[in-house]
Amino acid sequence: MKGATVGPFERAKQAIARLWLGMREWCGDAAYDRYLKAHAKHQGGAAALSREDFYVEQLQRRYSRVSRCC
Amino acid sequence: MKRLGAIAVWTLVAIGGALALGKIALFRGEVINATWFVIAAVCCFLVAYRLYSAFISAKLLALDDTRATPAERLDDGRDFVPTNKWVLFGHHFAAIAGPGPLVGPTLAAQFGYLPGTLWLIAGSAFAGCVQDFIILFCSIRRDGKTLGEMARDEVSKRGGFIAQIAVLAIMIILLGVVALVIVNALKSSPWATFTLAMTIPIALLLGVYLRFLRPGRVMEASAIGVALVLFVVVAGQWVADSPAWAKVFTLSGVVLAFAIMAYGFAASALPVWLLLAPRDYLSAFIKAGAIFSLAAGILIVRPDVHMPALTKFVDGTGPVFAGKIFPFCFITIACGAISGFHSLISSGTTPKMIQREGHARFIGYGAMLLESFVGVMAMVAACAMQPGVFFAINSPPAIVGAAGDAATATISSWGYTVDAATMTNLAHAVGEQTLFNRTGGAPSLAVGMAQIFSHTIGGERLLSIWYHFAIMFEALFILTVLDAGTRVGRFMVQELAGRVWKPAGRTAWMPGIFFSSAVIVGAWGYFLYQGVVDPLGGINSLWPLFGIANQLLAAVALVVATTILMKMGKLRWIWVTLIPTAWLVTITMTASWQKIFDPSPRMGFLAAAKAMTAQLAAGKIPAAKIAETQRLIFNQRLDAVVTVALAGMVLVLLVEALIQWSAILSERRAAVLHEAPYVATRWAAGAEGD
Repeated sequence: MKGATVGPFERAKQAIARLWLGMREWCGDAAYDRYLKAHAKHQGGAAALSREDFYVEQLQRRYSRVSRCC
Repeated sequence: MKRLGAIAVWTLVAIGGALALGKIALFRGEVINATWFVIAAVCCFLVAYRLYSAFISAKLLALDDTRATPAERLDDGRDFVPTNKWVLFGHHFAAIAGPGPLVGPTLAAQFGYLPGTLWLIAGSAFAGCVQDFIILFCSIRRDGKTLGEMARDEVSKRGGFIAQIAVLAIMIILLGVVALVIVNALKSSPWATFTLAMTIPIALLLGVYLRFLRPGRVMEASAIGVALVLFVVVAGQWVADSPAWAKVFTLSGVVLAFAIMAYGFAASALPVWLLLAPRDYLSAFIKAGAIFSLAAGILIVRPDVHMPALTKFVDGTGPVFAGKIFPFCFITIACGAISGFHSLISSGTTPKMIQREGHARFIGYGAMLLESFVGVMAMVAACAMQPGVFFAINSPPAIVGAAGDAATATISSWGYTVDAATMTNLAHAVGEQTLFNRTGGAPSLAVGMAQIFSHTIGGERLLSIWYHFAIMFEALFILTVLDAGTRVGRFMVQELAGRVWKPAGRTAWMPGIFFSSAVIVGAWGYFLYQGVVDPLGGINSLWPLFGIANQLLAAVALVVATTILMKMGKLRWIWVTLIPTAWLVTITMTASWQKIFDPSPRMGFLAAAKAMTAQLAAGKIPAAKIAETQRLIFNQRLDAVVTVALAGMVLVLLVEALIQWSAILSERRAAVLHEAPYVATRWAAGAEGD
């Protein structure tokens, strides 16, 4: 409903939804969904990693380079 | 009209910043309210972001939002992931924010509140943020290449190799020094030791939960973990109150040092999902919460700052660490104003996740401004306590004496009145046996934070809980750097060893893992051990070494950035990186020279070794202490050699760069940039990348 007036309740709901999504992305909860999307787009018919395998593989990569500072 | 309104608002912000800065710079009364620090920092940072970073974006870098970033071109959902700029800002800030901006300003408060605060504000705006922003930009244009790879491609092959070795050497010193900060905070404190020890089984529990029960559900696992950590902070009091349990968790510095080395080895060698990653998740949530709470607490409590603007210790006679205001204020503040280590993050994960080039300004420049604001808050927390109390906590026994009365008499004779009863009452209020000689910065920062928190919630009753929460927060923060750093160090050692003998380079080969983990832990563990047994408390020698190492790495990053800008033909604006480079080279070389050759044994490594050698030769050292003294002499000489090596590496890189710059300027060599070719973005302006 483009152009329809959005009430304050609806706006607050949207803001909370955006915040929740941002939190999920920041802490890594959304990483697997992201990966599946990218996989579907670029990898053709190749099998995607399971959630468990993706989690471990992602950690291996992240902690093999400088990821935390002094 | 809109433009006039914007000009009016920004003029008001600039005037507000100038007035607040003038107030804290010129005030010479008894106490000044912390609100002035917050206003000065916020207004100056806003103006710096609005004007200086915009100038760099437009004139120097010409950020191009029509150009596809590596995250768009190479999107694989793993390394290259287009990420919302606010989320990436959070990621980047969580990665760059470490214990440095908390501990450095706390130690630098020895000179008074003014020098450190001015350097935090000016240093970040004109050096630290510039470095982070430009290195991020350079890495984005090179498909997320690391600082070492960019040094190799843009400066010289030798430059790249030197940068790689420098990173490893600097990391070893850094890990040893931050570990020393934890040891000094936990020494003889059963409450703090128990709390931190319990975070290990909590992390293991979360590791199993995230791996087998609910894979990848980080938020819910972290919520459980944070609740358990808060519980063990409270439970620590029961342990401290129980004579039997208190004895178990009352550990000496040496025992704690070996326990931390064993932890570092385990975190490096065990599967990453079991210990390292879950601890990192815990730390990230607690870090964000504690920093936000400290900012809110300062705004609510608006504490008075009791430390004078300048102390008598600007002349280099301070008890916390030796050295004059120049160059040691800048060396000590380190990460709060500019951190070489940030260049590794800016050329690591972040450039692979950025959606648009234009976001580099907000993420690179903006996140460093926020980090510097954390440094200003740490300065406020340290300076809000009475100066006498600050010096009693941060002075080693060799300077002020171990007994309470002797220490308070010495400190009071400097003009900073404190009495033993005040210190005893404060120690009891925070649940510690003593607060004398608790060097390293962490305990005094924890006292400052606890006082601010307890004025907000709970009053005196909760002071001990807040103190141990603050210690746990700092220690957790540091352990995260320690375990992640040890693991990365292990990979670096394996890579170097693999050049000599191929199997040693295989990252999944167990003997190789154990060997390289032992090498890296042994290296930083040696510095930790020498700090623990140092009669001056270790921080006196090692924190300046850490600062020099960190600032040298920043000089390396800025040399690489200057070379790239020169190749881009931005000679007119080259001062943007050239001035901070010259400043960093000047302060690091001056500090290195003084730490090596200063004739005072408290200051110069060689002078300290010489003085102890003379005492040995004169038979003034008791027989029981001869071996220990010989070890101390060796350590001082080793520190001198390490400082020479670090400074030497940076000078070689600088010479390499000067040759390159001269060749480019005289047109003897074509200025070849190693950027990825331009590809137009497929995303419409303002659209999300997914």
